[in-house]
Amino acid sequence: MVSKKILVLGCLAAAISATAAQAEEIVELRAAGGTFEPLRLAVPAGAPFKIKVTNGEKVPVEFESFELHRERVVQPGDTITVNMPALSAGSYKFFDDFNDKTPQGEIVAK
Amino acid sequence: MSPSRFATGGRRLTLAGALVLAAAQLVRPAHTNPPSGGDLVAPAEASKALRRACYDCHSNETRWPWYASVAPLSWLIQHDVDEGRRRLNFSSWQDYASDPETAAHKLEQIAKTVERGDMAPWYYRLLHPSARLGEEDRARLARWAADEARRLAAPQN
Repeated sequence: MVSKKILVLGCLAAAISATAAQAEEIVELRAAGGTFEPLRLAVPAGAPFKIKVTNGEKVPVEFESFELHRERVVQPGDTITVNMPALSAGSYKFFDDFNDKTPQGEIVAK
Repeated sequence: MSPSRFATGGRRLTLAGALVLAAAQLVRPAHTNPPSGGDLVAPAEASKALRRACYDCHSNETRWPWYASVAPLSWLIQHDVDEGRRRLNFSSWQDYASDPETAAHKLEQIAKTVERGDMAPWYYRLLHPSARLGEEDRARLARWAADEARRLAAPQN
């Protein structure tokens, strides 16, 4: 009886730790003052993650990355969540396609 | 300038032009068709129209015409294909689809572009009559893309 309880508890603990390990990392990015903050996002390589993009500008911005095949419009004051795939270690550029003067940012997967 | 000197000058200019053109052939862009990362799935008629009119620049299944090997046309074509693939590549559709709202946004853009008749560019249509989309094709493609975009767009972020 006691060994059964231990087995059940063990299974539960394993399930909880597996769920925690699978939880995707969320990184935050803000467009404001004609730039992205931060301009360099560090993420772990080999695991999917999400980017929360907030537009603090008074005009729409378009978060875009050719390399990562992402393109999303963010209206002023809005926050969106972009699903990102697991990346190989390396650097991936992103930019605001609506505003040429906004400096390019990069996602660095390590 | 005497007529003979004028003729000599013309010959020199033609020769110089021919030499420049010949030298230009040495700069050959590498026309490649990388493997597909997961193609767009569309109804047969829409898929057929997309393949005929769009895939040469917007996929990894480019049909390179013979003049794509002749400079300076080869440079222009390579530039168009590189830019087309960067902006929208149907062979990477599964990558867009891993963020459904990106896929929805791309489809909205396709619907608008096709509806307005902005694609393919006029100079491309001039050389590739098959890339011209008739009214029926344009309407069908735009309707499908808009419907698909609505289906994919999440109600909220």
